[in-house]
Amino acid sequence: MIKNYFKIACRNLVKNKGYSVINIGGLAVGMAVAMLIGLWVYDELTFDTYHKNYDRIAQVMQHANFNGKTETQVANPALMGPELRNKYGSDFKYVVQSSWTGSHLLSIGDKHITKVGNFFEPDAPDMLTLKMLKGTRAGLKDPYSIMLSASAAESIFGKEDPINKTIKFDRSFDVKVTGVYEDLPDNTSFRELKIMMPWELWLIQNPWAKQMREPWGSNFSQTFVQIADNAAMQKVSARIKNAKLNNVSKEEAKYQWAVFLQPMRKWNLYNEFKNGVNTGGNIQYVWLFGIIGVFVLLLACINFMNLATARSEKRAREVGIRKAIGSLRWQLIKQFFAESYLVVLLAFVFSLIIVVMLLPLFNEIAGKKIGVPWANPLFWFFNLLFILITGLLSGSYPALYLSSFQPLEVLKGTYRVGKFASVPRKILVVTQFTVSVMLIIGTIIVYQQIQHAKNRPIGYTRNGLINLGMEPEIREHYETIRNELKNSGAIEEMAASNSPLTQVWNTNGGFEWEGKDPGMAVDFPNNTVSYEFGKTVNWKIKEGRDFSRDFATDSVAFIINESAADFLGFKDPVGKVLKWNGQPFTIIGIVNDIMQESPFYPIRPTVYHTSGYDNMYNLILKLNSQQNAKQSLSRIEQVWKKYTPNVPFDYKFVDEEFGSKFRAEERIGKLSSYFAILAIFISCLGLFGMASFVAEQRTKEIGIRKVLGASVVNLWRLLSTEFVVLVILSSIIAAPIAYYYLNSWLINYDYRIKISWQVFALAAVAALAITLITVSFQAIRAAIANPVRSLRTE
Amino acid sequence: MLELKGIYKWVNTGNNRIFLLKDVDLSVKPGEFISIMGPSGSGKSTLLNVIGMLDTFDQGEYNFLHESVHQLKVKQRSALYKQYIGFVFQAYHLIDELTVYENIETPLIYQNIKTSERKALVADVLDRFQIVGKKDLFPTQLSGGQQQLVGIARALIAKPKLLLADEPTGNLNSKQGEEIMSLFRELNREGMTIIQVTHSEKNAAYGSRIINLLDGMVAQ
Repeated sequence: MIKNYFKIACRNLVKNKGYSVINIGGLAVGMAVAMLIGLWVYDELTFDTYHKNYDRIAQVMQHANFNGKTETQVANPALMGPELRNKYGSDFKYVVQSSWTGSHLLSIGDKHITKVGNFFEPDAPDMLTLKMLKGTRAGLKDPYSIMLSASAAESIFGKEDPINKTIKFDRSFDVKVTGVYEDLPDNTSFRELKIMMPWELWLIQNPWAKQMREPWGSNFSQTFVQIADNAAMQKVSARIKNAKLNNVSKEEAKYQWAVFLQPMRKWNLYNEFKNGVNTGGNIQYVWLFGIIGVFVLLLACINFMNLATARSEKRAREVGIRKAIGSLRWQLIKQFFAESYLVVLLAFVFSLIIVVMLLPLFNEIAGKKIGVPWANPLFWFFNLLFILITGLLSGSYPALYLSSFQPLEVLKGTYRVGKFASVPRKILVVTQFTVSVMLIIGTIIVYQQIQHAKNRPIGYTRNGLINLGMEPEIREHYETIRNELKNSGAIEEMAASNSPLTQVWNTNGGFEWEGKDPGMAVDFPNNTVSYEFGKTVNWKIKEGRDFSRDFATDSVAFIINESAADFLGFKDPVGKVLKWNGQPFTIIGIVNDIMQESPFYPIRPTVYHTSGYDNMYNLILKLNSQQNAKQSLSRIEQVWKKYTPNVPFDYKFVDEEFGSKFRAEERIGKLSSYFAILAIFISCLGLFGMASFVAEQRTKEIGIRKVLGASVVNLWRLLSTEFVVLVILSSIIAAPIAYYYLNSWLINYDYRIKISWQVFALAAVAALAITLITVSFQAIRAAIANPVRSLRTE
Repeated sequence: MLELKGIYKWVNTGNNRIFLLKDVDLSVKPGEFISIMGPSGSGKSTLLNVIGMLDTFDQGEYNFLHESVHQLKVKQRSALYKQYIGFVFQAYHLIDELTVYENIETPLIYQNIKTSERKALVADVLDRFQIVGKKDLFPTQLSGGQQQLVGIARALIAKPKLLLADEPTGNLNSKQGEEIMSLFRELNREGMTIIQVTHSEKNAAYGSRIINLLDGMVAQ
């Protein structure tokens, strides 16, 4: 019997080719979208699960009160690790002090390669359960050792065995390779780490860290822990709350440091904090895209149902005959389900093909490296579930509806689809377009928000600026190099600075001024810059003057930004004194806010001062705008190689670095726009099918009207009005829902657009236009047909 | 075989009640070949549908092979007619998507008969009606007469006790009509009970008894 059902289903598919294409195609696209999103959600939810002790690993973080607001940070003093180990040892299995993630130069003979990595305390490989390909997890015990990922080992040593080979590290230390580990997969927080070095080596490389006056007052490293097997995350987190506060000076205590553990489980999905509360993060996108996936699939299922019932008059006769020759209702239900499952199965096969083809593109947009997990039983289990549910969803309505026809009415030909038979169908179309319109609105708003932030004044000129790391040789010959480059015409100006233009590397407390609330602890970004910084980046002096070599006193002067001027509360700040660690600095100028951090948040009160080059780690070069950039760059490289022949010439355009600040939002914008297009595509497929059936159903009516003198325009209006009304209704329903969700999304951003009504109007007009184009094709075709032919079909 | 007693069927339009069948009594013995005649709208088809259990009635008794149809539930009724009644329609009502073979086979599928048995039964019927060569064609590829032949074959495949035909020759030309009618006569001679609705005196003459309907009543 099943065989019989499928045979009929196949013939029906072949016979109604257009209908089948719309049905299978629409469903396949819907399923592909749902599958891609499913893979993405799975990837997000299994983030970091590569590490076996995933549930017990945590990062030590701190809440603190800066400038009167509670902020949350991952930075810790280097003493945090030892403190936890010594005083709370029984709570932890491993405590690992770590550096920031950075690039390091590895040299073997003439070969120089830059690799990204961290300095870790020796327990890190055990904590992260690294899969060792060579050597053991004990590879970080000796200070002069290094562990390489498999890819790093191959790029450095090729096929050779790297174990016990010596590498020159950052041009200053000889380190021995003690282990090779499998590269961490892309969905782990430590995916970037291609090399790991001992924390001891970092301390040797950075001797100042051990010579600090107040080692608890400076946060320049990270701390990771794995709690003891019998310990509970929450309890340990509460217990270590004062681990820092107990050790700091009275002045430092004003920050109200509160230490806590952020479990690895939450690193990726719950990465945002507001006022000391873990408010969420990427999890909102998991929900958002999850819901979109379900919706897009639902749209495709709705199409199936709609088209099936729209064809019901055609199928009605068959149902009647079958019932008259002895079919029971449940047998018909089975038959229709067999048809829907056949379509779903075919669509599934196509959707797999689509997924395989689109995955590279999807990965690029989503910034992921997801593969289809062919060998994962869970994948197939979900697919099976997915097919079952989709088949049930899309087949239920036609199966139950079509099988309910009374044979006699149908066979006598008196059967007409009732007045209200089209109501569920209309509801389904409205649902589809509500979702589509919402996605259109969402896409527009996300783009507006990105554009809004991109157009935000940045306080400097990005054009032609490049950023380079400052090597010791460059620092030594700074003035010579500057003159040489300027004279060669490659650059207009060159400056050094502590932080690159697109980041803040250093913040400081210890500022005092007249009228400050004595209980408040402040923390300002503090950028050490060379005299020509302002001229190079073209900042705008609002009041006062720029740094100048002509004033010897400029070594104890600050230029502050507007936000700082507001925060300090001076009426006329220029000439006022700002004390830093007791030493008086004069404010000589105010500059427009320079956006170094997120374009979506307020710019922090920032101070700039100038001193020797020791605290400057970045060079900013303004390329000569009169000269070809390529030429200038090669000229700069030549000079560079003269002083640092063993360091790769690794420059970054400030423009590009700035652009990367929008990557997350752009990703969301792009994804949502693609989903919107797909949702609209699927809805239109359905609409197209529906319109063609309506036109077919009304062929006779159209013929009669035409004979009576109706024009093509009359008929077009007759056939299109219904759909236009439905789409307008959808827009009205979509607007408040979209408003609600987008508003709650925008609240995440301090610097945000206001949602304007025009967006809703635009989305509605777009949906209408698309509808009209889709429907008109069928309407006009029906309207221009020869009435004699359509009337003869009776 | 079957007996109708005081069957009424009506529809209400506003305050008026229009009778489609009015106090119809009819008794049919096994082996009869009855023709129901009457002008358009006299209730011929309604009566046939009531007999075939495709339609319900509002009052009266209907006994079919010792079962009281008026007391049966829908499911039992369809089980009953599935087993004992075969239908032939004026418009053939073949399923366009199925071949001749499959059209004939379908009722057997609904009766859960095994594949091997189905094959044998269908082969017999195809052979008997001399349409073996057409078994893989689709209905639209056949002439009207041939389609009706398939329709009859399909009605007979499950070996019903009663064959109901609603103007079986209505869509056919006279030659094709005659062929169908002589087939009916032959079936009747083999013992099949047949009730047909017809407009044509000539066709009615093939039967053993004629029932004349007028305005829903049996004319005496």
